[in-house]
Amino acid sequence: MKRFTLYIFCLVVLLLTDLKAQEKTNTIEQFIADIFEQYAAETDESLDFESFYEELMELSYNPLNLNKATKEELDKLPFLTDIQVENILFYIYRFGNFQTVYELQLVDGLDMTDIRRMLPFIYVGDSEVKSQKIYGKEIFKYGKNQILFRVDRGLETKAGYLKTDDNSTQYLGSALYNSLKYQFRFKERIKFGFTMEKDAGEQFSGSSHTGYDFYSFHAQLNDIGKVKTIVAGDFRANYGQGLVLGSGFGMGKSSYVLKVNSHGTGLKKYSSTSESNFFRGAGATMRFGKFDFSVFYSNKNIDGDTLNGNFASIYKTGLHRTIAEFKKKNTVNEQVEGFNTTFTHANLQLGFTIVHTAFNHNLEPEPATYNHFYFKGDEQTTGGLSYRFRLSKFNFFGETALTNHYASATVNGITFSPLSQVSFVVLNRYFSPEYDTFYATAFSESSRINNENGFYLGMEMHPFKKWKIAAYADSYRFPWPKFGVDAPSVGRDYLMQIDYAARRDLTMFWRFKYEEKQDNESDSGQTMPLVVPLHKGSIRYQLNYSFGNFSFKNIIDGNLVQKNHSAMKYGLCALQDVSYSFTSIPLKIDFRYLFFDAVDYDNRFYVYEKDILYAFSIPMYYGKGSRYYINMKYDLNDRISMWLKLAQTVYADDRETVSSGNEEIQGNRRSDVRVMLRCQF
Amino acid sequence: MKRLILVFFLFLGCTVISAQISPVVPSTGAIANASVADSKGWSAFGNPANIGYVADMTFGFQYENRYLLAELSTKSLNFVLPSDLVNTGLSVSYSGYSLYNEILLGIGFSRNFSNKFSMGVQLNYLTAYFASADKYFGSFFPQIGLNVSLTPALHLGFSTFNPFQSNIKTSYTVKKLPSIFSLGCEYFLSPELAFRVQADKEISSNYRLAMGAEYSILDFLTVKAGAYHTDYLVPCIGFKSDFGSFTFHLNGELHPILGLVSIASVQYSFKK
Repeated sequence: MKRFTLYIFCLVVLLLTDLKAQEKTNTIEQFIADIFEQYAAETDESLDFESFYEELMELSYNPLNLNKATKEELDKLPFLTDIQVENILFYIYRFGNFQTVYELQLVDGLDMTDIRRMLPFIYVGDSEVKSQKIYGKEIFKYGKNQILFRVDRGLETKAGYLKTDDNSTQYLGSALYNSLKYQFRFKERIKFGFTMEKDAGEQFSGSSHTGYDFYSFHAQLNDIGKVKTIVAGDFRANYGQGLVLGSGFGMGKSSYVLKVNSHGTGLKKYSSTSESNFFRGAGATMRFGKFDFSVFYSNKNIDGDTLNGNFASIYKTGLHRTIAEFKKKNTVNEQVEGFNTTFTHANLQLGFTIVHTAFNHNLEPEPATYNHFYFKGDEQTTGGLSYRFRLSKFNFFGETALTNHYASATVNGITFSPLSQVSFVVLNRYFSPEYDTFYATAFSESSRINNENGFYLGMEMHPFKKWKIAAYADSYRFPWPKFGVDAPSVGRDYLMQIDYAARRDLTMFWRFKYEEKQDNESDSGQTMPLVVPLHKGSIRYQLNYSFGNFSFKNIIDGNLVQKNHSAMKYGLCALQDVSYSFTSIPLKIDFRYLFFDAVDYDNRFYVYEKDILYAFSIPMYYGKGSRYYINMKYDLNDRISMWLKLAQTVYADDRETVSSGNEEIQGNRRSDVRVMLRCQF
Repeated sequence: MKRLILVFFLFLGCTVISAQISPVVPSTGAIANASVADSKGWSAFGNPANIGYVADMTFGFQYENRYLLAELSTKSLNFVLPSDLVNTGLSVSYSGYSLYNEILLGIGFSRNFSNKFSMGVQLNYLTAYFASADKYFGSFFPQIGLNVSLTPALHLGFSTFNPFQSNIKTSYTVKKLPSIFSLGCEYFLSPELAFRVQADKEISSNYRLAMGAEYSILDFLTVKAGAYHTDYLVPCIGFKSDFGSFTFHLNGELHPILGLVSIASVQYSFKK
């Protein structure tokens, strides 16, 4: 009946569609999602889209005046490379202020795609003097409030919600996901708000817990006299290349091949619903001439499996659905003190960061070969020196860090542009097996910043008008066994992406990727660990086109995998997207149909899909089946907007259940409904 | 533009895909059944978006015989009623014999948006006779299609038949209905010569890759040739004749193991 209703709805929408020639209606939300997609398309890590989205949305509310923007401010645009930022600043230095944004076409190294991406976040204006004073009247008059309310629900009943004799494994709460956010901002000067969240399965009202499972508060003040930033409540800290303190959103390998270095964004509020990788306390950054001094203190309880005064690992999922999961909640106290000083002069930036972390219990991982060098104990101090400087056409960047146990890590790189059409990046990294800190996020193959060294070479060129070629090669080595690989291993990655922008409304790209890494041999029966080579080659073709208020996207993705010289296995995936923005009513609809055929897990696909506000989905597909969704945004009025997403995955490989454990669903379908309401005033 | 077309075809040409389509879904008049991007014609249960390109009220009948066995034949009727708002298509198809047969009914709606693209939705009902129960069991499912004119000479077609993988459920068994994803393109090298490439994937079957060309030798005569690959490579040949308001198609496919498949159809257009 639900499906029948969906068919009728699609039919009615098609019939009622009143099409006239309309201008393209790419919203800022789409821009941000598209940028993020480029970062996330090839990753199996869960990246924090919420923070990424918030930062760029805030930037779109307060766009940068291109003629007055500093290097630090331009670095906030995540799709611009160091070379492009330098070229923009050099253009202003050489030719004076921009008279119009169209002049950006004259800046070396910026193509139309980059310029279109920049447009929501910049403007060209005259000189203006920043007013340092904040008046109460202005705050009330120009301050913006936002309330976000989100509800998710899976339509099928999962095993964890079924009544069984064994209560200990059952989910305590309902299958409803709910979050509530309030945010206030006054220009870029004052921001505060709170976040509350209950994951599906967590108890909202009952014997174990009452209320939301996660509460978060944040406040941030900027540019008050000598004080550059003050943060209180939940916040993040990011300095240098992220070896000591990373932002949580690492610039890793992606089709932005030149974007491999971090820009040290300093102290920033944290308002995401993700329940790990943030600080809770207060911090401030003071500016004295060319020096910035930052200091912060954090004190929060984290989740861990405590036993006899020790805990084996930090539990980062934020899920407290069963009694066992609930018992891990807030069992360990973590205190973090941090300090950073950064010196900036002309083309040179030097930074020093030191962080001390203390737990009230000993971290004692369960003995295993792979975690032999992981941090053990209740206190750790890590310090790092970072640098960035430009010399002629070369940009140098890097950071070297050391723990109090003399474990070291270093990352160093150069970007250079011999011609305006060609740019290169070279990066070398070395993270010793003993280097294991808690808030590091840097360029690496694995998500954990330790036990890895490697060399990365990237290149981007514009050989002809409308064509762009980006490529990288990365060779890496894990000198000690890692989780899932029981011996030292090596690997190589190659990627080439060819972009062709035939017209403004017609673009396409081909992405070729080849990976060679080592994996455990399954069921080897060997006493000694045995790793075998795993080869994976993939190709993706993506076509985007738009007509009036309609936009379309096709993707065809295929891969071939060979493990230990066995027979090659293939995977294929194809999709059709259709989006339409109505003109007569404030409604936007996205529809997708996708099929996937990847019998083996190694052939799995990650494909980005549109979602409700602040959500970003890159579901993983393997097996055989199809997925479709309809995603709608409706503006009830100027202040209230609503999002609704209905999605279903149907497997066609004769499986009788989907997923496993408490998440198991009987049947071959998984359906989700998501609703979000936003009120702005 | 030629570069765009070239790279597009190069890509599709490299895509090794083939498929198996259920017999209840009749073949189309396009050679090698590569019709998903066909901007010049529509057959019953083809891409519903292509209904939008039909300019005149049209009535058609098709007979398809598989491997010279009467029991494996499929008969279908189609009717298109164009209007300013939306074109409506009706389709009926019958396949099988007295002990087992299937009937497929469809009503489709499609709109052509200034010849830039056409979108269509069709609601189908498939009913099958189960001799053991002496009863018909059926199921509704949709068919969605899109045909985009990337350039005047290049069309891209997409269609999905039964995207939600609906099945027919009886008290004894579950009959799987085909769920097909099709993607293809059509390129006119000249107004007389059209090439089509298409990839189909029935969700539980092999891939199908089809290629075909149609060349108008005379005003009233078009020669068609092509091939498709599933488990075997199947060559196809056909003719199309236009006599006033009548259009005739005659296609033949030669399966290397199973033999000949012949498709004959006639359409009458009420020319304005």
